[in-house]
Amino acid sequence: MEPEQSLIQRAQKGDPEAFAALVDEHQRYVYNLALRIVKDENEALDLTQETFVRAWMALPNFRGQSQFRTWLYRITTNLCYNRLPHLRRSLNDLGDDVLPEVVESEDTASNPLRALESNEIRSQLHQAIDQLDANYKMLIVLRYHDELSYEEIASLLNLPLGTVKTGIFRAKEKLRLALQGFASEEKWTTV
Amino acid sequence: MDDRLIPTQNERIEDALRSYPPASMPRSITSDVMARLQTTPAPRFQLTRKDLILAVVLTAVFNSILFGLQFLPGHVVLQIQIQGILAWQAFLVNMRWLLPALFFGLAAVLAALTVPILYRMTMDGRR
Repeated sequence: MEPEQSLIQRAQKGDPEAFAALVDEHQRYVYNLALRIVKDENEALDLTQETFVRAWMALPNFRGQSQFRTWLYRITTNLCYNRLPHLRRSLNDLGDDVLPEVVESEDTASNPLRALESNEIRSQLHQAIDQLDANYKMLIVLRYHDELSYEEIASLLNLPLGTVKTGIFRAKEKLRLALQGFASEEKWTTV
Repeated sequence: MDDRLIPTQNERIEDALRSYPPASMPRSITSDVMARLQTTPAPRFQLTRKDLILAVVLTAVFNSILFGLQFLPGHVVLQIQIQGILAWQAFLVNMRWLLPALFFGLAAVLAALTVPILYRMTMDGRR
């Protein structure tokens, strides 16, 4: 398979086949981000298309300072800001409070205790993630699906680093509350 | 209340976040995108014939006025200057109110152009 760098260079010279290969490779990631934000399949497909059309037009300006996918995400989030003006406000409103350091577990699969974890709780937590506001979901997708660092997310969304950390922390807080809700429900049903 | 997530909850949440399934695409959009690229050429700066004609006409008019002014007799130029000064003085004395009226009018026109757009953007945000 041809390396991405070479595809980008060919696409920058106007080669549509190379660009089609790039669209093939990245469309599912762009769609995933768009869907998490706009919550509508058709609108997410439309946003994904629009992202690639804009990317084609702006491709001569792509200098390779960031990864191609991160650059595409920047276009997607800008399009989302245009469609949902409250999204930008809600991200800015997160503020950048000083928060306690969140200890992130290294590898969930390596711990045998975690292997026993209830699938039910996991799926309930997935539903809780689905219910989160678009601003939190956007941060979560970038952090956990794309494994971008906090700094990369801050740069991509043009937000202060503290705001990104606060956003992810608050999203986890909301999930923790949801988790407590499931636990109390479980107790209630088992009594 | 301690803000720190307790380890077991944190582990469960981390596990859920990492295993949160990415959305699968209902269909590939490659062909749609490629079709749109052919109908949406990259914007390029280009001069049309109309632009050139307009530029030539404007240049000719402007230059002919300047050229004509140079060949006017001295007393006519003097008359024009005097009439200009008199008209300006008459404007300052009798129609000074026109200046604020013009500014307010301009502000009203700008507001009429921008307020509906801003209103629409605000309402979109509340939807």
